[in-house]
Amino acid sequence: METFVQSLVSGVLTGALYAMIGIGLTIVFGVMRIINLAHGEMVMLGMFAAFWSQRLWGVDPFVSILAWAPAMFALGMILYRFLLRRIIPGGELNTLLYTAGLSLLVANLALFAWTGDYRTIALSYGLTPMRPFGIAVPPALAIGFVLAAAITGALWLFLGRTDMGRAIRATSQNREAAVLMGIDVERVAAVAFGLGTALAGAAGVLLAPSLYLYPTVGELLIVKCFVIVVLGGLGSVPGAIAGGILLGVVESLGAVYVSTTYKDGLGYVMFLLVLLYRPSGLFGVGKS
Amino acid sequence: MSPRSAVAAWAAFAAAAVALPFATTNTFLLHVCILVFMWTVLGAAWNVLGGFAGQVSFGHAALFGIGAYTTIILFLKAGVAPWWGLWIGGVAAALFSVPVGLICFRLRGPYFSLATLAVAELAKLVALNWEWATNGPVGFLITTLPALRVLGHAVDWERKTPFYLLAALLMAVALASTAWLRRSRLGAYLVAIREDEDAAEAVGIDTARSKVLTLALSGFLAGVGGGFYAFYFRYVDPDAVLNIGLSMEMVFIAMVGGLGTVGGPLIGAVFLTTIAELVRERFQVGHLIFYGLFMMLVIRFLPEGIWGRARLLLAALRARMERHGAA
Repeated sequence: METFVQSLVSGVLTGALYAMIGIGLTIVFGVMRIINLAHGEMVMLGMFAAFWSQRLWGVDPFVSILAWAPAMFALGMILYRFLLRRIIPGGELNTLLYTAGLSLLVANLALFAWTGDYRTIALSYGLTPMRPFGIAVPPALAIGFVLAAAITGALWLFLGRTDMGRAIRATSQNREAAVLMGIDVERVAAVAFGLGTALAGAAGVLLAPSLYLYPTVGELLIVKCFVIVVLGGLGSVPGAIAGGILLGVVESLGAVYVSTTYKDGLGYVMFLLVLLYRPSGLFGVGKS
Repeated sequence: MSPRSAVAAWAAFAAAAVALPFATTNTFLLHVCILVFMWTVLGAAWNVLGGFAGQVSFGHAALFGIGAYTTIILFLKAGVAPWWGLWIGGVAAALFSVPVGLICFRLRGPYFSLATLAVAELAKLVALNWEWATNGPVGFLITTLPALRVLGHAVDWERKTPFYLLAALLMAVALASTAWLRRSRLGAYLVAIREDEDAAEAVGIDTARSKVLTLALSGFLAGVGGGFYAFYFRYVDPDAVLNIGLSMEMVFIAMVGGLGTVGGPLIGAVFLTTIAELVRERFQVGHLIFYGLFMMLVIRFLPEGIWGRARLLLAALRARMERHGAA
């Protein structure tokens, strides 16, 4: 029983961080109908940003997010304005291949610049696990979870209460109608892409102290990310949150009760099953 | 080009290709040509499905890997010579692709692409962990190839020439089947599916059957390519033959050469191999940087690919000449 609760808790904690990556992808898909294959690389950039700001300037990773989230937002806007915008009229397969190219480019530039070594971030306070109710919780993961929950909550308010948030939701529900209502969908798209990139980067910063970081980690993360958004329904933010936590829990329980080697496989099998039988997501809210 | 001059050009190319290993002793040149031929087969395999039918697969590494594993396991455990085994590898990949197609083709567009990505990841995971069959992460190594006599001569496997000729044959098979497909009824169905799947279905095309058949052909070519890889490099492990990067390289070749063209994959393969060989000496992964960059540039500025653009230019030129001739 104790093992069960233990792995359930660590699954939920990791899942919340996965969910953040998934929300980024799903917002971009909702507004622009593009699947950004370079999303995993944006997480990787966030991870390395956290790593280098600690290594070079001694900044705590969880503090560095204050600088890196806006920086990643700007990067996303730039990517959209100067690169992606011209590709989108060419159709969804073109954008899929284009972002695949971008992903190869970014991952391998990183590999060239930083080599393929596995790195870790050591935190002075991260060594002894906290033990609330007798469950071991690594501090880095716990802080990451709290910040991820706060960011997700803020995002929820942004999408629900502000004009730009409403415009983003309107555009992803019905682009034509949004245009007719006087929404500048081009601007919405740029903001949505910036937001998606910022979420990926911020999640990378938060994950960095808990994972190994290496330049091709994006490949692993992007597949997880697809699993999440497909589980939750592409285009749905609450779906991505649920999908992220579900994947975290399944992986964590799978590693304990099925096998560590096949734990990633569980996610893929779940992914294929959902794609086939519930293509609009487990909750039926996504767009197929 | 008129059909006759096109046939003449291809025949001249084939003759020059076959003559090359007898005219040069430069093993590096032959090695590069072997790689170009192998990648042409793989690019053609992807192009059949991605270029003609518009179904973007990110899972072709799985088909390549199955071909490679089948060939090397058949040789090491059953003594089947790899020059036969690679065809069986192609058949194995084609057989594998039928159920995959039946499942994944229920999805469309990007969803199909994501599903194939998951299939490839699963295949790699199985190869890494199913030690009994695949030797896990260690993989297999061929130490000595069996003796073979052709026309009374013993084949020397230390030389490049036999591999070169085999690779050229495989490329001829791949290009011929693409050319056949382009003219066939199935090819016309595929183009219809690519342009508008619902309309294709509405006019009575069995889209599911056409797509699965095409995937099987694509799988056969990719599997044969994988089998040749195992035969030529004599080494197979999950990282080498089931890497997602392989799928991306096949996409790159077909894209850069020209989607849905016969000669495109050859151009793409020349391009890809040249970049890889130029860069490899300086730094190991450098070529992937350029693949990513070129993929982005081609989609942005040359969406019909190099071969596709050349054909358009040629057609425009001929039309102009005919106008001048008439005037």
